[in-house]
Amino acid sequence: MSGRQRVDPRQRLSGRARAAVAAEHILGEVLRVENPSHLIGAVAMLDRGRLSQADLSLLAAARQVADSLGGAVVLILLLPLGEKLRGDPAQAGVDRVLELHHEGFAGYAPALRAVALSDVVETLELRHVLFSEDPLGGGDLGRRVAMWLGDRPATGMIRWVDDQVECRQDGGLTDVRRPAPRVLIVAGGAFAPIAEARLREARSLPAPVWRVASGDVRDGGLLDFDPQSVPIDEAELVVSAGNGLTDWSSFHVLAGLLGAAEAGSRAVVDAGHMPRTAQVGASGSLIAPACYIALGIAGASQHLQGIARCQRVIAVNTDLHAEMVRRADLAIIADAQAVMPALIRRLRVSSGG
Amino acid sequence: MDSLVSAVVLVSIGRHPVSGQARRAASDARAVELALRVVPAERLTLLHAGDPSPAILRDYLGMGAPRLVCLAMPTGVDPLPALAAWLATASPSLVLTGTTAEAGEGSGMVPYWLAHRLGLRLVPAIAGLTMASGEAAMVQAVPGGRRRQLFCPLPLLATVGSRAPGPRLSAFARARRGVLYAAPARGEPDARQDWAARPARARPTRAMQGASGSASERLRAGRGDTGSGKRGGDETTLANIDPENAADRILGYLREEGLLGR
Repeated sequence: MSGRQRVDPRQRLSGRARAAVAAEHILGEVLRVENPSHLIGAVAMLDRGRLSQADLSLLAAARQVADSLGGAVVLILLLPLGEKLRGDPAQAGVDRVLELHHEGFAGYAPALRAVALSDVVETLELRHVLFSEDPLGGGDLGRRVAMWLGDRPATGMIRWVDDQVECRQDGGLTDVRRPAPRVLIVAGGAFAPIAEARLREARSLPAPVWRVASGDVRDGGLLDFDPQSVPIDEAELVVSAGNGLTDWSSFHVLAGLLGAAEAGSRAVVDAGHMPRTAQVGASGSLIAPACYIALGIAGASQHLQGIARCQRVIAVNTDLHAEMVRRADLAIIADAQAVMPALIRRLRVSSGG
Repeated sequence: MDSLVSAVVLVSIGRHPVSGQARRAASDARAVELALRVVPAERLTLLHAGDPSPAILRDYLGMGAPRLVCLAMPTGVDPLPALAAWLATASPSLVLTGTTAEAGEGSGMVPYWLAHRLGLRLVPAIAGLTMASGEAAMVQAVPGGRRRQLFCPLPLLATVGSRAPGPRLSAFARARRGVLYAAPARGEPDARQDWAARPARARPTRAMQGASGSASERLRAGRGDTGSGKRGGDETTLANIDPENAADRILGYLREEGLLGR
């Protein structure tokens, strides 16, 4: 244990004392919580096996609850057999990790998930369990778990004050403070993801015994769809054109091969190259795809507002100093007219067409 | 249309988020629209708990439903036991409702509570509904623009999400012709009355959080047009790259993120 910071959460630290502990702590060292007085669960829905932005703000909320009660955060994952979490939860303020595996977690099985979770909450005596508000994911699951636990959950949670919870209600007009129930459903964007990368232990917990409920709803699987016909505010992958794009036939072929929805900047929409519904930006749609491919877009501030919630941005632009290049996760300084045919050739080869 | 199916749609009084005007609640109106598409209008009943006087309730009748039952009770009481008792007596094969109310607690718990109490199957946030041989076939809008098909035997309670077809307009003549039954009902005391409420305050934007550098960079961070959603540290800018290599890098990045060949 020498050289490692030991924190006993049963000691009620005042705000200043807690700050002193934090200050003593050296970056890069693992912060451990032994014998926590409470366990605070956070149920992450994951995105492609990774913690999503919503999961990270959920964990920030759980961290705040755990710190005020002197508890530890348990990240709860419902994974199909043989799947693992991609990425390291230790950087997201997680003290313990609990993985439940079942083949049914691959498909749509809300009853299976809800019964499993309510059993876990009871067995591990979690003081609170947090979900993120999302009508098909955490929001649905949290409400089902609350019914199983006989709880009246806090929905639209925006703040945690001592041991009370503050919720936004009445269509966003009223903040209501109430005693905290067991199930807390966190409003989207209410908690900023943990900024400092202080490593936590993320120790694996053994899974307790839980009941396997049979589903009452039959999953017919995903329907076939045409990715290009998906509205841009719903699409997962969006390829977008700006003033630097002149080869429109290649653009449409590329979108088809990538399976991406087509969008454009205000300039190309005004010029009549794309319909008004495809416009991204302050006066068009505010979109949140998993990836946004910007071809020949300089990145006016109004356009960047439209893609503020995009997780990943790829930019192809001839101008190294364009705002879009600064925003991008992967920026290629080249002419889109030259890059598109190269992309199309590769995609045709890999699809065997 | 399956003529043996009877449907009840729970409707509430909505509020426009900007003007505050009373209106048909957006998701409840979508629920009425879906119900009108799958059951004959004469087998559809709308159900509301609260004050029977607002003219907005007639807007739902104007969509084509012949009757609306209002369990009359004062505002601020818990309507769930009365709703459950009414539904248990009527025992419809299909109950539809919106996702969350636009005014009041808006917790979205009403369908969950009713389904639990009445022992009904619950499917949340559906975007489409058809009936086939005593079974409901539903679609849900999953992220990424895809649709998931679900099958469930009746009786069933489903909430209607924002990707469902938009509601038809309300016709004045139909709204007048529809019958509004007001049945006195008892509301239970609600623990919500004891919670401290105050007008919502917008939280100040944390312009300084994680931002450093010049004033323009901090301004940009506060405005939220950069940085948010961007993972720190692994941005790559490739200058002087030939198109073939550039294409390889882009496809490699997409493949790594699992976005290719979905």
